[in-house]
Parts: sequence; C-alpha cells; structure tokens
Amino acid sequence: MMSDRKAELERKKAKLQALREEKDRRRREKELKDVEEATSRVLGSAGDRKELDEMLSSLGVAPVSDILSSLSSANSLTPDNSINHTPDTSLQSNGLVNNVYTGKRKTPQLSVVAVQSTSIPPKEIVSYTKQTQTTPSGHERDAHATDYYDEYNLNPGLEWEDEFTVLTYDDGQGEDEEGSLPHLGGFGSKLPPGILPHGLPQVKEVQPAVTAVEQEQAKQEIKEIRELSEEEKQMIILSEDFQRFVDRAGKIVERALGESVDIYTDYIGGAGEDGIDEKSHQRIALNRWFYDERWSKNRCVTSLDWCPQYPELLLASYNNNEDSPNDPDGVALIWNTKFKKTTPEFIFHCQSGVMSATFARFHPNLILGGTYSGQIVLWDNRVQKRTPIQRTPLSATAHTHPVYCVNVVGTQNAHNLISISTDGRLCSWSLDMLSQPQETLELHRMQSKPVAVTCLDFPHSDVNNFVVGSEEGAAYSACRHGAKAGIVDTYDGHQGPITGIGVNAVQGGIDFSHLFLTSAIDWSMKLWSLKDAKPIYSFEDNSDYVLDVAWSPTHPALFAAVDCGGRLDLWNLNQDTEVPAASIYVEGNPGLNKVSWTPSGLHVTVGDNQGKIWVYDVAENFAHPRHDEWNKFLYTIQELRNSQVDEELEKLNLSVSSTPLSSMTSLSLPPLR
Amino acid sequence: MSNEVEDTLKRIQSHKGVVGTIVVNSEGIPIKTTLDNTTTVQYAGLISALADKARSVVRDLDPSNDLTFLRIRSKKNEIMVAPDKEFILIVVQNPTD
Repeated sequence: MMSDRKAELERKKAKLQALREEKDRRRREKELKDVEEATSRVLGSAGDRKELDEMLSSLGVAPVSDILSSLSSANSLTPDNSINHTPDTSLQSNGLVNNVYTGKRKTPQLSVVAVQSTSIPPKEIVSYTKQTQTTPSGHERDAHATDYYDEYNLNPGLEWEDEFTVLTYDDGQGEDEEGSLPHLGGFGSKLPPGILPHGLPQVKEVQPAVTAVEQEQAKQEIKEIRELSEEEKQMIILSEDFQRFVDRAGKIVERALGESVDIYTDYIGGAGEDGIDEKSHQRIALNRWFYDERWSKNRCVTSLDWCPQYPELLLASYNNNEDSPNDPDGVALIWNTKFKKTTPEFIFHCQSGVMSATFARFHPNLILGGTYSGQIVLWDNRVQKRTPIQRTPLSATAHTHPVYCVNVVGTQNAHNLISISTDGRLCSWSLDMLSQPQETLELHRMQSKPVAVTCLDFPHSDVNNFVVGSEEGAAYSACRHGAKAGIVDTYDGHQGPITGIGVNAVQGGIDFSHLFLTSAIDWSMKLWSLKDAKPIYSFEDNSDYVLDVAWSPTHPALFAAVDCGGRLDLWNLNQDTEVPAASIYVEGNPGLNKVSWTPSGLHVTVGDNQGKIWVYDVAENFAHPRHDEWNKFLYTIQELRNSQVDEELEKLNLSVSSTPLSSMTSLSLPPLR
Repeated sequence: MSNEVEDTLKRIQSHKGVVGTIVVNSEGIPIKTTLDNTTTVQYAGLISALADKARSVVRDLDPSNDLTFLRIRSKKNEIMVAPDKEFILIVVQNPTD
C-alpha cells in the first residue's frame, strides 16, 4: 500500500513538474517574440529616416537635423537688417538695440555678411568717434592716449594719414579688431562679424610703436645727465681720446661748413650772375688767402711747397713774429686749397725760425724744415704733437748756419734730403737717420771762398746736378757726385744777392731743362742757359727788389715773379719779353717773398712778409699751352740770343767808334754783322 | 692740449652761420656746448639717438660699412653730425646767413 501511494505521489509530482515546465516554456517563447517584434519595428523606422536624409542630401538640401539651428539663426538676423538700413543712428542707440540681441549667437559666421555689403559711401560730415586702440591693460594705455593727443596738438603739422589707421568696411580686419578692442563695448564682439554697429567707418589711432621706448630713453637721459659732474666732464675733455676726436671731427665739420655751395639752387627762378663772365676776361684774379691770426700773423712766408700725394695741400713755412717773443720762432702750416675752410689743416712749430720746408715726397705724413739755427727738423702729422719728432744735431758734422734750402731728390727706394746752409755746406740725409748726414760737400768758389747759398733748384728728375743762387749775386751750377763734385760753372750777372732761382721743368717735345731764371735784389730777373756764362736775357721791368721767380709747371714759356712792392707778374715769353703779360698788385702792397704754382698750373700762390698767402687764379686759356708753344719758345730763345749778340756788337761798335781809329775801320764793320 | 680743443670749437663756433656746437658722449650726455641747457639736452638726446639709428642702418645694409657723417638739411637750418666711437660732434648752422 505504501508503495502504491508512493507511486501515486511520484506520478502527481511528475505531472506537476511537467505542467510547470510547459508554462515556463510558453512564457519564454512569448518574450522572445516580443523582443523580436520590437527590434524589427525599431529597425524599420530608422531605415526610413536614413533613406530620407540620403534623398534630401542628394537633392542639395540640409539634413533634417540641421533645420532647427538654421531656423534660429534666421530669427536673429532679421532685426539686424533693420539696423543696417538706418546708418545714421548713433552709437548709443545701436548699443541698446544690439544689447537686446546679444547672447543669441555665439559663433560669428562670415558667410552671412556678404548679404549685408550695402556699402553706402561714408558721408564726409561724419562725426568721428575717436577711440584708442588699446591693449588689455586698459588703465596705463589711457594715459598714453592723452599724451599722444597733447603731442598732436603741439604739432599741428602732423598728418592724419601718418598717425592714424582709418579702417573701413572692406578692410577685412574685422576679426582682429574685435579681439583687440574690448573697450569698444561688449556688443562689438558679440555681433556677427563684418556687421559693424553703425554704418560709419570707425577711426582709431595707432600709437607709434616707439613712443614707450623713447620715453624711457628720455627719462634715462635726464637721469644720466645729472650723474655727470663738472669734474667728470673735465676729465673727459682732458682725455687724449677726446682731444683726438675733436681734432678729427672738427676738421671734417670745418670743411663741411666751408662748403657754401647751395645744393638747392633754382635755375628756373634765379637770375644769371655776371661776375663769372667778368672774371673770365681777366688773366689773373684773386681767389682766396690763407692767414691765421695766431700762427702766421706778422711772420714772413719763407717757403711754399706742394704735397705730391695730395696736390691740394700747401706747405708754408714762416719766420719768427717779432711782436710775440713768447711764441715759437718757427712755424710751418699746411693749408688745404680744396676746401673753403679758412684754418690750417696742420700746425707745426719749432724753436728756431723755419727758413725752408718741404714735404718728404715719398712719405706723405712727414714734413721737413730747415731752420735758422741750422737744424733740420722733422714733423709727423700722424702724431698729436706740433713740435718736431726728430731733429738733426747742431754740430760741425752738420749745419751750423741757416738752412735756406731743403729738397728731397731721388726715387721711392733711393732718395735723400738735400740741405744747404749759407756757409756753403751741402748735406745729404737719409730720412731714417737724422743723427748725422750721409755725406757732406763744401761749395767753394775758385779762391776757396764759401758760397753763401740762398736758393737751390734741381732740374726735373735729376739727382746729381743742380743750380744755386748766392748772396754774392752769382748763380752756380754744381753736382753732388763725380770727379768734379762741387761747383761746376759760375753765372755772373746780377749786381745784388740772388733771391730766387728756378729751372724750367715743363715736360714736352723739347727739353728746356738747361734754362733757368734768377731773381735778385738788383730789381731784375735774368734768363740763363747752363751752356752760357752770360744771361740770355735780363728782365728789367720791376722797380723794386725782385724776391722770387717760378716757372709754370705746364707752360714752357710762362713764369711768375714777385717783388717787394707787392706786384705779382706773369710773363709769357712767347707773347712779350719786354713787359709782363699780366700783372697785379696784391692788396696793401706787402712785400712778396715767395711765389709758387699749384701742380695744375692754374693757380699762383704768393707768400708775403705779413704772414698771408694769396691764391690767384690764372685764366685757363692763359695757363694752358697750345701745342706749338714749345717750338715757339725755341724760336723766342733764339731771337733773344740774336738780339743779345746785336746789342753786344752795337756796344762794341760804340766803343770802337769812340776811338780816333774807328773812323778808318768803320767801313769794315758791316760784314761782321 | 685742451687749449686746442677750445680753439677748434671756438673756430667752428665763429664760423659764419654756426648757431651752436655740442659735443656729446656715446650715451648722449653733453660734454661741451655753446647752447643753453634745455636746447643742449634736447639736441644731445635726439641727435645721438638718430646717429645710433643711422649707424645701425648703415651697418645693416653692409656689415663692413660704418657711418662717418650725417647732415640733416631742414628748411630752417642744417645739423651736421660727426659721429665717432665715443663722441659725437653736433654743429647747427643757419646756411642762409
């Protein structure tokens, strides 16, 4: 029984289990079905949307999802349109209107702007609202802006265009500006770009970028100036650097100041000058003079020389000034004929009067002087020193008498300084060693009487032969080397001391270097040939001591002569041998001691006994030789010689006719002629 | 030797048309002047700044080059500037005189 029951129970349990399982299975099946249905439905609607979007975009229409946003932007634009159509509304009202719409848009879009370019030309009656362009640090900049206005008001000449940037619609800088202009008001940046709050061009000034720096500098300067005391200034002034600077810069500025040329000459408005035409008729005209109140006043000009490297530089030596015994006796000044500055380029001096001076010829910086004491002095223009850097000793081996002539002869590699003193001693020196002469030579006349040499000249590029003038009134030719070193020939003729001598040095077809001129105290000049003991010709037009004579460096027949009465003569032997071709009296009639031509042959410089050097222009057509001048001059010399022979014969004739016998022999004379 | 400095400056100053002469150092501080204080300070500051600028222009254009002289011609006058390493000489002149 028990077992039956158990079996029955077992059966019932199984039945129940089966029922439960059946129930579960059905519910799960239903759920699955539901899910399937739901997914299938969802998938189906999404596919529809996609299809629609694809269709729309293929037709060029924005996707459905974007429609909403476009609608909202359209809403925000409509009121702006109305604003732009009323450009005269003021800034304030604009701000109000715009403030209403701020916040509606966050990102400005350029594409919209194109529609709004109703570029109405800005009216000129515009009332500008000037506002500063500022950096974010607003407070400081405000101060600058007012500073700037002050400057503007002080300088009304400032141009708007220079100082302000005027911005207009189509500048395309809208974006940048808004970023940099927070002061324009909050509305500015919120607006759609390109649409300005009003229809007017906005004007902003841009400060010059340097102002801040300059102001800083100015402040610094003021501070520093206070730091520099009088003592410090004095220290700087006394420093060598400062002196060198002033010396150099002063020279440049003086030259610049001397330039009176007006580069703004207006030939359209100006009237022609007559002075130039007048001048060209003159053969000789005063150009300028060189004079220094301190260094050349009352000093007799003792020599003139030209710099071979810089032909505009003129070296002049001066004797002592009796009125100022405290100043150095000897002075040598270098003047510049190129610039119109009136002060010397260089100033040198020494204790003894400088009787002669010369450029060292191959050393452009060195200047040599022969002094009254007999010393040869050497100056250097590179050192900041006016006194000689070297001098020869005063000893029996060198000069003990005044040195009236110094001359540098030779070539770049082998040259000597030749100096002659009035005791007839000639010394030749090497510029590297001035402690003793390389060689000495005594110039003696026949009876071993020393020649008191006053002047010396070497023919062009000759180093051995030379001519000298003496106090006795005789000229001599001499040579330095060879068996007959010393005086070679004597040229007697002058009645007084010879003051100047010059050898014809013009280069050309015919060599005239055997011709030389002498000037003398006896009121005359004489033309000599080295080959004749007698003068070819004597010029006796002067009525005073003739103190110097100089051949033109370019014209074979032209020479200049000066006398003690202040007269400067130019002789052209091809034109006239009786009277000078041109003649001028120097203002004040000072005694003229030296005469010299510029290397160009277009100017004559004259040194007087008051310390002035006068520069005269020689007319170009007069100074420049024509090509036939050489032949003509040869002919002239021949003529002079012939007339000299005639004169002598006439003299002879007279002396002969004065004797009782002459009456008998006079018939035989004509054939002699 | 400082007499020579004085002489040179006096010579320049005595030149016809010269209104003023100023020597300034490289920092634009006037050392010698013939003008009144305010004008001097003004010239010294402005001209030395201009000279520095001009020098840098010259050097930028050609590094081997250097400024040697500067002339400023204006309607009323002319300013001549002779610059150097350490000093600048400024001369103001009235060319019409």
